[in-house]
This record gives sequence, C-alpha cells and structure tokens, in this order.
Amino acid sequence: MTTRINPNRPSKIAAAGLKRIVLTAPTNLQVPHQQKPVRTKKNLNASYLVIAHSERGTLCDHALQTIAAAAILADAETNVLALILGELTEDLANVGADQVMVMPELDFEHFQPELELANISALIESIQPLRIFIPDNHTGDGDLGRRLIAHQKTKTAVTQVVEMDVGHVATYQAGGTSIAQTALPEITLLVANTVDTHLPFTALAQRSNQAISNQLTSNSYQDLGMQTIAATEIALEEADFIVSAGNGVQNVATLESLAHTLEASIGASRVAVDDGKFSRDKQIGASGKTVSASAYLAIGISGAVQHLQGIKDCRHVIAINTDASAPMVKRADLSVIGDAEEIMSALITLIAEAKSANLKVAA
Amino acid sequence: MNIKRIAVLVSTGRHPTSGVPRHCRNDSLALTIGIDLSHSDAAKLDVLHAGNANNPALMDYLALGADQISVIPTEPDTDIVDSLAERLGDTDLILTGSRAENDQDSGLLPYLLAEKLNIPIVANVLEVRQIGDKLEVLQFFPKGKRRRVAVNLPAVIAIHPLAAVELRFAYARQLQGKIHSLSTPVDRNQATSIMQWQIQQATRKPNKLKAQENLTGHERLLSAITSENKGGTVVNDGNSVEKAQVILSYLREHQLITF
Repeated sequence: MTTRINPNRPSKIAAAGLKRIVLTAPTNLQVPHQQKPVRTKKNLNASYLVIAHSERGTLCDHALQTIAAAAILADAETNVLALILGELTEDLANVGADQVMVMPELDFEHFQPELELANISALIESIQPLRIFIPDNHTGDGDLGRRLIAHQKTKTAVTQVVEMDVGHVATYQAGGTSIAQTALPEITLLVANTVDTHLPFTALAQRSNQAISNQLTSNSYQDLGMQTIAATEIALEEADFIVSAGNGVQNVATLESLAHTLEASIGASRVAVDDGKFSRDKQIGASGKTVSASAYLAIGISGAVQHLQGIKDCRHVIAINTDASAPMVKRADLSVIGDAEEIMSALITLIAEAKSANLKVAA
Repeated sequence: MNIKRIAVLVSTGRHPTSGVPRHCRNDSLALTIGIDLSHSDAAKLDVLHAGNANNPALMDYLALGADQISVIPTEPDTDIVDSLAERLGDTDLILTGSRAENDQDSGLLPYLLAEKLNIPIVANVLEVRQIGDKLEVLQFFPKGKRRRVAVNLPAVIAIHPLAAVELRFAYARQLQGKIHSLSTPVDRNQATSIMQWQIQQATRKPNKLKAQENLTGHERLLSAITSENKGGTVVNDGNSVEKAQVILSYLREHQLITF
C-alpha cells in the first residue's frame, strides 16, 4: 500500500523552479485559558454543611475532597457552606465552597469538644442544613463527627463512607467482607480518596469569620497539651517533615545535619539506599515506604515514577536538583536548581541564624 | 474519688482470612488495661457483651484475663446502646475498643453510650492512669502527635489499636472463667434506628464520586491534549544563599517551620 502524500504540504519554490519541502513546527494548539463557570450564584437558603479542622491555615486533601463531594451532590438550589475550625489562609473556590465560615478559636491544637459541639449545634439550629458532610479522619474531624451524630439523635448518619452518589452511600461492614448500601443520610462521615476533586465549576467562596458565641460554664475535659514525638524516633510513614536524599547527595553528613536542624526525619531514594548510604528501612517509593508528610524536601532526587508513587500523599514537595527537566521538578511545588551540597550548607547556616535571632527576640 | 467499678465492653471478631470467630483485638487491649487498673485500684471489673452467649469468641476473653463475662441477650432489633446503658448507670469507668471488627464497625457505640449516660468520652486512647479524682489519658494522633487530656469521671474511654499493651493468653483461665447470660429486660428496647441496609459481598471496588461534565466533542478532545498546569515554581537564578532563602521563605509561608 502506498501512503498518500499531502500535495499541499508546506513547501517553497527553489531557484530552478523545484519544489522543496520545508519543515515547519506544528501549528501551536494553544487553548485559551477558560474561566470555569460558577456553580450557583443565587443566595440560597437551603444548604449543605461541611465541617473540617484546618491545619496550619490550610485544609488537608481529605477535607477538600469532602467539600468537593458536597458541591457535586448539591443541586442549583442548594448552597455549600464550609465551616472551617481553625485559621484558614486558603481559597476554597476551586473545590466548590459557596460560603466559607471560619471559627479560628476552635482549632485542632486544643481539645475542646464540648465548646465545638455547642457552637456547631447552635449553627445547625440557625441554618438548618439539609445534609452535613465531615471527613472521617483521625485529626479531630472523625471524633467531632461522631460526637455530633450522638448529639443530633434525630438525624440519620453513616460513618466510614467509601462510596457515595446522589442516591446512596456505601460502607464496609463485617470487617470489610461485605459492603452495605443505604440512602444518602443527613450526616455523612467520608473516608479519604472517595471523591475526585476535579470540578467543572467554581464557587464564590464568600468568606466570613465567625466568633464563637457559646461559652461553657463547666468543662469535663482538660487539655494538658499536645506533644510531638522526636523525628528520629518516629516511623517514616508517620513523619510530618522528611528530608530525603537521592543520587545527587554526595555528603551524607551535610544531609543529616540539615535534617537535624529542621527536626525532620531522613528518607532516601532507591539509588541512595542501593549505594549503601542509607539503610533499607529509609527507602521511599514503590518498593519502600509510602509517606504522607506535610513537607517533603527532595534533595538530588530525579523522581522516578516508583519514587513519586511513594510521595503522592505529601502536601508540600520541595526539590533541590541540578536538572531542571527532571520529573521531580514537575511534581514539586517549589524547585530550586543548583548544587545540592552548596544549597544545603547555605540552608543550614540560614536556619541557624533564624533560630538564634528568634532566641534573642524571645529573651 | 476512687474508681469502684470498671466495665469493659467486648465484642466478637473474626479471623480476616478464615472467618473463624475470635476475640476483637481492640477490645482485648481495653480488657487488659481494665484488668491492670482494677488491680491497682481494687475496683470491681465487669466484662459485658451484648449478643449471643454461645459465641465461641467469648472464650478468648476468659483466656485473656476476664473472670466472668456477662452477656446481654439481644434480638436483631434490640437497641444495644439502651440495653448497655441500663447496666452501666453506676459504673465509674467504661472501657472499650475504638472499632469493632464485626457488624457495622462504625465506631459510634462509645459516643452514643456516652451521650446516653451524659458522661464524657475520649477516643483513640493509648494510656490510662488515674490522677486524683480525674483520669489522665494519652490520645493518639497521626504524624507522631500525642495529646494528654484529663477527663472527669465517670467517663467512656475507647482504646486505640496502637496502645502499648501486651495481651496475655492463658488456657487455664479459659477453663476457669464463666460466661453467664443476663436476663432479658421485660420491656425490650426497640431500636429507633431507621437505617435500611442493603448488604452484599464486598467483591467490587467502591466507585469514586466524580462531577458530571457535559462537554462537546471538541472540548473533550481539547482536554485530552492539554492538562491543567500543576507544576510549581522553579528557581534558577541567584547564588546558593539566595536559593536557600527561597526555600526558607516557602517553609515559613506555609507554616511548616516555627522559626
């Protein structure tokens, strides 16, 4: 079979009247950046309420998924109201929150379930939400959600929801051997990664700060303070700050001192472990550990898919790399191109200066 | 105030592969903590189970240290929370596991019970000790965080699976221990729950919730060749100190460091 040649392909006429093919770049398929439509602009009375604690001014992916779930399930006549307990510096328009209410006093760092319950019950009383969605996590929301379910006895509720749509929710029962379905309840406690946060619409995310109104006269609980286990003793899967080394790290001592100054755990890519620079239990990636740190500092790691798989749950990824085209740079939220050793040393000095300046201010 | 009565609520579990009835590990941890506390405080320990007294799984709890287990008989429509609450009115401390392995395992029972009895509840507890007239507990949180909380008695405490407790299994105790059925209350508590469950074997993966997109063919093709730009900022310029400064300000901006 002969291939048909396009007679109109780009060409020019050469000196002797000969037709010469010219190579041209393919016409650029630049798509104009389109603004997503706003889901609903009406100021509505009916609402879906999403409750979540923030951490360091942002919401975890799990909480964002829960807001997105409410936005997907809400119809055009229903508002999505996100009630954030703790400070919030993030914009929630992309996950579909029509209104954002922030209660900075009720942050996760303090254990005050009675105060939270009193204020949330008062809010529920005043706005009468049609449904309530809460992420079922171990950082305060799952606990709060169950307290709310026990308190709001008349409302139907399902915890540990692994599947939901407009008609039904499903949850595992009998130790995960059976899956049980029921109609969409009034209170839903949602498991992580059950919702796709990619939405074809945005929302207005009108923000209001709400001071807590109800104060308690007596308290059954007394918070004696949060403590954090030292980074060196904690398992890598549980660590919140990880400094990770790859093939680009020549001097392990510098990396260890950087991890020490940042109070971070140490991880490594497969190459660094195979080289014998780190023990096998430090390996992060498909054949090592899957980590979910808030901050992941990848030093000299090119970012093989197997490694990126292990860090898919990390919130902030910072890369130091000599190669700007490495896959890790595409994944990272901040990439610094340069020599790892020099930047690490500079970082150690800067942090030491910042710490001593802090001490002077405190004194 | 001394703790006079401790109640441990136990449920039955099953082996994940063979399905053989066995003890629920979370509840066994609560039982062991309860036994240790009852020894140090000379308190009376009740071990309660709501369900079938003939379940072989209950024998495991005898072997793990319970002298006797009281079983509250239930019918399929019994409200377990009400039945338990009736028996627990004068108990100072109620211990249980955080999640059951059988039935609904919603993790709600401790909360419903605490609400019914109008007493405080602390979940995900790793350690329990009595200080004065209060109970001091260590709560588990992910990412290496732990919180100490003092709670007034009486209270419900749900134990976390990671509690540092060693289970001690002794067959001799299983032979000595007794399981006895409590009488069924005259006016049986009908469950008020109106949830209608449709239960199937868990053979399929749960479906993810996705937003409906009504795109034209042209838009769908366009979205296949373009992707939303997700990459972060790339810093190429400056010397190493300036680059380190960029990293430090990023960490500060997102409150990842406190200095």
